[in-house]
Amino acid sequence: MDHFERQLVRMMRDAEAPAPFEPRHRERLWAGVRVRRRKRAARRAVGSVLAVAGLSAGLFLLPGHVTRVEPGHPRPLPGTSPSPAVPPAVPPATPDGASSFPPATPDGPPGAPSSSGTPTATNPPATSTPGSEGTETPSGSPADAS
Amino acid sequence: MEKGRAREFDEFVAARWSALVHLARLLVGGDRHQAEDLLQESLVKLWFVWPRVADGAPEPYVRKVMVRAAARSRQRRWWGERPVERMPEAAVAGDVSADVAERSRLETALARLPPKQRVAVVLRYYQDLPERQVAEALGCPVGTARSHAARGVARLRQLLAEMNEPVR
Repeated sequence: MDHFERQLVRMMRDAEAPAPFEPRHRERLWAGVRVRRRKRAARRAVGSVLAVAGLSAGLFLLPGHVTRVEPGHPRPLPGTSPSPAVPPAVPPATPDGASSFPPATPDGPPGAPSSSGTPTATNPPATSTPGSEGTETPSGSPADAS
Repeated sequence: MEKGRAREFDEFVAARWSALVHLARLLVGGDRHQAEDLLQESLVKLWFVWPRVADGAPEPYVRKVMVRAAARSRQRRWWGERPVERMPEAAVAGDVSADVAERSRLETALARLPPKQRVAVVLRYYQDLPERQVAEALGCPVGTARSHAARGVARLRQLLAEMNEPVR
């Protein structure tokens, strides 16, 4: 430490002037404490509100997510399956009996719903089996198609 | 409980106020109002950690808070320094005492240092802290703190020499 540095130390220490802690300092200090306490409480309240809001949003979105994954359409049925009313034991009446496919799609009116989604039936059944009501409709009788 | 804590805190502040104001004044470069603001802010922070530091070292805590704030002071507009052509508080011979004039010169010179250099010089020479603690208080490596102190002293040497030159 050279002469200037020693002088600097002395100047810094000698420069200290007595400064009493006055009532105005005390009042200002406690006012600062109150302000800071209010700020901290407000910050904590805002934090709590944000946490609750985030939690609520999460809980709100979670069931919605589950709802969206529900199946929107029924599973497509196989093309060979007739409507549930058709008794499986009844074979389709075909003239030659060679076809193994049942006559699943009778000719209905245009635009009528079909269980297989393929409304084309090339070989309409020749006859209807008595007793199988409403399942095999002859061509041109739209009243029974529904 | 709260009253006892407040009383202890009050006693500490009253006992150390004078020394802390002086330190704050050196750290900000002499402005009494800025020094009081800095000390008040630091003491408010101290109050909220008082149960933890009261039995240990409340004064180093306040000092650290003040030093950090003073070193960051360049970023705060209300502590902004304005370069001027002439020294604003040059001592006038004959109308003030020698002590006051010397203090005024010192504070004026300190005010012209960059904040980190000023803080390093004050901690190193007024507080007599080792370089490691100066670096810790500034939040920088020891070499950087040493460099701040050395440059600050060199600049002070130059500034005080200029102020002591007779007016032509």
